[in-house]
Amino acid sequence: MNKNSNDHIISIMVDNEPGVLARVVGLFSGRGYNIQSLSVSEVDSDKFLSRITIVTSGTKVIIDQIKAQLLKLIPVHNLVDLSEESSFIGKELVLVKVENMKKNRKKTFDIANKFNVSILNDSKKELILEMVGTPIEITNFLKKIRPFGIIEITRSGLVSMSLGRDYIKKFI
Amino acid sequence: MQKLFFILDVYDEYLVYFRTMRKFFTGAELVIECLKQENVKVIFGYPGGAVLPIYDELFKQNSIRHILVRHEQAAVHAAEGYSRSTGKTGVVLVTSGPGATNTVTGLADAMMDSIPIVCISGQVPTHMIGNDAFQEADIVGITRPCTKHNFLIKDVKKLPEVIHSGFNIASKGRPGPVLIDIPKDIQTFKTRYNGKKSLLKKLTYKPKVSSNHDHIEEAVKMISDSVRPMLYIGGGIINSGEKASKELLNLIQKTGFPFTQTLMGLGAAPTSHPNFLGMLGMHGTFEANQAMHKCDLLICVGARFDDRITGKVSGFSPNSKKIHIDIDPSSFNKSVNVDITLQGDLKVVLSKINKLLLKKKIKFSLEKYSDWFKLLSKWKKKNCLKFKNSESIIKPQFAIKRLDELTKHLNPFFTTEVGQHQMWAAQYLTFNKPRHWMTSGGLGTMGYGLPAAMGVQIAHRNALVIDVAGEASILMNIQEMSTLIQYRLPVKIFILNNHYMGMVRQWQELLHGNRLSESYMDSLPDFVKLAESFGAVGLRAKKPSDLDDMIKEMIRVKRPVIFDVWVDQKENCFPMIPSGSTHDQMLLGPDDKVDDAISEDGMVLV
Repeated sequence: MNKNSNDHIISIMVDNEPGVLARVVGLFSGRGYNIQSLSVSEVDSDKFLSRITIVTSGTKVIIDQIKAQLLKLIPVHNLVDLSEESSFIGKELVLVKVENMKKNRKKTFDIANKFNVSILNDSKKELILEMVGTPIEITNFLKKIRPFGIIEITRSGLVSMSLGRDYIKKFI
Repeated sequence: MQKLFFILDVYDEYLVYFRTMRKFFTGAELVIECLKQENVKVIFGYPGGAVLPIYDELFKQNSIRHILVRHEQAAVHAAEGYSRSTGKTGVVLVTSGPGATNTVTGLADAMMDSIPIVCISGQVPTHMIGNDAFQEADIVGITRPCTKHNFLIKDVKKLPEVIHSGFNIASKGRPGPVLIDIPKDIQTFKTRYNGKKSLLKKLTYKPKVSSNHDHIEEAVKMISDSVRPMLYIGGGIINSGEKASKELLNLIQKTGFPFTQTLMGLGAAPTSHPNFLGMLGMHGTFEANQAMHKCDLLICVGARFDDRITGKVSGFSPNSKKIHIDIDPSSFNKSVNVDITLQGDLKVVLSKINKLLLKKKIKFSLEKYSDWFKLLSKWKKKNCLKFKNSESIIKPQFAIKRLDELTKHLNPFFTTEVGQHQMWAAQYLTFNKPRHWMTSGGLGTMGYGLPAAMGVQIAHRNALVIDVAGEASILMNIQEMSTLIQYRLPVKIFILNNHYMGMVRQWQELLHGNRLSESYMDSLPDFVKLAESFGAVGLRAKKPSDLDDMIKEMIRVKRPVIFDVWVDQKENCFPMIPSGSTHDQMLLGPDDKVDDAISEDGMVLV
């Protein structure tokens, strides 16, 4: 996927316990680091593990410091900087509610087809569209659909994994 | 023989097992049982509603001693003093809400100075959490950034695991404070307990202690190549333990390298050693800072390139290769970029370096370093710690020097508050052993010294413990006088009384056009009468000629003493690197011009 050269995608494996997200987020705000996107959910219910994906940016010194500080948190098992892996996939999901007006309907459906978007709800007044793609694809899609009247948007934040399985040993 | 030990071990385990398996423990009983298993002898605390069940269990036993402080902040500082002087983990017990929030300054202090503390706080019952109950505070939320880790126990079955993990986390790796919040209902619920051993598997926190061998080889090559080497030693050595101090001294003896120590590191190696250049940094010696600036190899051992040390980072030790040895990888390249990082426990890494130096038969001949030593002795000749003494008025530096001279043979423990007196103590006292110097380095907490001294005296009943204080700082935790009396702790409080918040005034003189905004200490108490009102001994010296006799008197008295030393009000702390300057831009005394010294960039720095 394309990415800004300064952006880093850090995937963190943590104990799924109360307050763990607050520790990670508090570290970023307390030390003045930047969070561009964040997503988190449990991935292993037997070992109580959650996986957090954070997109952040900064100089090498700052990124190294972010990683070192994250690894000091007790519930953090390990982390991997996916943007330093040779190749990786990063995807995001967006739900967008647009006006369902007769005059725009065809155009909207054309764009939806072009971007491989599913129509989740088609009611009298609104359409709810769902798209999965890279952040840039999603931004492009939203730009196209904007003239037809967006009512609300929600984005999941990036989730990402590397190709291959070599890095998994040190990670999980 | 080994078999016998094995049998004894198994027997021991069975004893614990039988003693514990027969019954169910309440959460409060378990707290005490777990503390016993962690070999805790003393805890510092203050009771309240949400910890009453635990205090009730304390009452029923004799193996753990509870010291009742007069303010929870002091409980943490006392535990810090206890911990720093013994190497054990300090333990604190406080109630919910205000009891817990009062510990925050102490926990932040322990975090900055890497002191192992376990703080147990009561909490409102689980079903009331989040309801704004009486004396409720989200202390886990509040202390998250100022503890190494913290826990809220919501299930009594988890309690033993959490307490043992707490001790494990506090003391292993880079030490730090851990807070354990226990709701009152959990303290009364019952569960089984099979001893610490059954939980060892669950203690998952295992920081790396030994470093990559190739990097050590590289470091040794740098060491043998350098001609202007310099050792920069921090508090990490003291945390790593006596063996680290020995290995460090070995390295110094073997190489003959000059060394400097940070405020936290004083005593890691003896300050009377001929290779010691004095403390470095903002109020460090001329020779130490010059050597930092001009060396070609800087070996940082258990220190963290703090801003008080580096001055202006871009001009810090510009021509040196740098080796950084530390147990905490987040200290590497944080503010200063280094060439080699060696992560690990200092005693392990230093011993590997020493062994490799021996194995490679590297010679450290005097000729190789003669130019460097000539430079060092030239800088030393500046005698940057000299001061103009007076016949009529006590100079603060003179007071500290006399205190050092008259107590040296007793191997005293010193604590300090924060300010000018702290810097003078660091500059003029002798520290020949580790763990004899307790001061708030990272956080700079006024009010630290008295409770810390209290903790030290609890651990070392018969030792001479002196809190070097200022009249402003001492008033921040003066209530602990009452604790000293209750437990008959003969702590000596040596106040350098100049009627000013001296360090604040010094900066106002230097940076704010001598407008002394709110830095004069008006309406001070009569410290002699204050001491007497608590039941302690008060002394006062106003003339240099009184000083010696009164210091001797202070040592002789076997009770707590407040010694109020009236010192020159005008004196400032030198040498000094003004903020925003580099190590070679030092002010050596009040006559040095300060106008050009402080840039606009420096003005905004603290």
